[in-house]
Amino acid sequence: MKLAVFVSDYKLNVDTLDRLKPEKLGIILVENGVYHATIKENGTPSSLLKKNANFYVLMDDLETRGLGSSDINNNIKMISYGDIVDLIFNEYEKTAWL
Amino acid sequence: MSTTKLGFIVQRPPYKSENPKLALTHAISSQSVEVYLNDGDIVTADVAFIGDGVLNCLKNQKAMEKYALSSTETHIKNSLLLDLNVMVCKEDLDRLGLSENDIVMDAEEFGAEVTTKVVPFSEITKMMEEVNHLLFF
Amino acid sequence: MGKLTIGCFSSLVGSMSLDFAVKLSAAAIEKGHKVDFWVSGNGTMLSIKGQRAFKDYSALMKPVQELMGKGLTITACEACAEARGYNKENTMEGFKRHSMDWYLASAFNADRLLHIGGE
Repeated sequence: MKLAVFVSDYKLNVDTLDRLKPEKLGIILVENGVYHATIKENGTPSSLLKKNANFYVLMDDLETRGLGSSDINNNIKMISYGDIVDLIFNEYEKTAWL
Repeated sequence: MSTTKLGFIVQRPPYKSENPKLALTHAISSQSVEVYLNDGDIVTADVAFIGDGVLNCLKNQKAMEKYALSSTETHIKNSLLLDLNVMVCKEDLDRLGLSENDIVMDAEEFGAEVTTKVVPFSEITKMMEEVNHLLFF
Repeated sequence: MGKLTIGCFSSLVGSMSLDFAVKLSAAAIEKGHKVDFWVSGNGTMLSIKGQRAFKDYSALMKPVQELMGKGLTITACEACAEARGYNKENTMEGFKRHSMDWYLASAFNADRLLHIGGE
């Protein structure tokens, strides 16, 4: 399964993402999920970024929160809404909003 | 004639949020979807309770008596009556100190023939692979 | 081009997930895809007409109306709406109301489905 997971919270109250093991995983950080791309609590990047996945962060939600490209880890791609459409139609088969 | 399979994954406990109940009511509506489709076309709904979502399955819920609300337990029984595939994650039951004795396993009083399946998470993963679309609640 | 079905259960005010869903719909339509949009639970707040656009609150009536003009099909869960006092008379023009099986029927031939649960 090629799965695109939307992460919309910084503190997840479910552990589902840790249990999913799709053949291909894309993690799209939106809303408060964008903080995973930028915040280093006590100097440590979010553990989410250790996953074997392709990472994307929604530019609009990043900039809304006073953040930008210089704040994100270099393994994360900044994307637009149009890019999300292309990702879910062309790169992944199913989606999950957690 | 074709079939679209949907997987409803319930991850959160009942009542504080409307979500788990909406998962069940939407899944149950798979039984009446034919009115919109061509003859022979169907939509199936599998329902899986995982994580703290397994708490939805506790029996003896008294939502009607206490809040005049139909209980999540009743919706699970209706799902069984309508032959939906209802799965509960065994590892999560174990983690929370629960067993089959604590949860809704059947709806015999409604005349349901299918029962709840307590399965390892790997079985739920298999279901998620097989369905066409996933809906997380 | 494909068909995207979006379900959103989050409220218009108090969450920004509906804003996300509406913007994603716009992007998909812009690229030539068909979009079906289902709101249920607190998401049915989106269906109400007469929404006043204050800058401190999400205001989606205008973009939704524009998207309907571009082919967006948008439907509210009738029972969820009625339970909240959102009746047919105060529903935005063009906004459909159906039972939950409409969402599943839309999923039947959708190429992709994005289900955004509520808060």
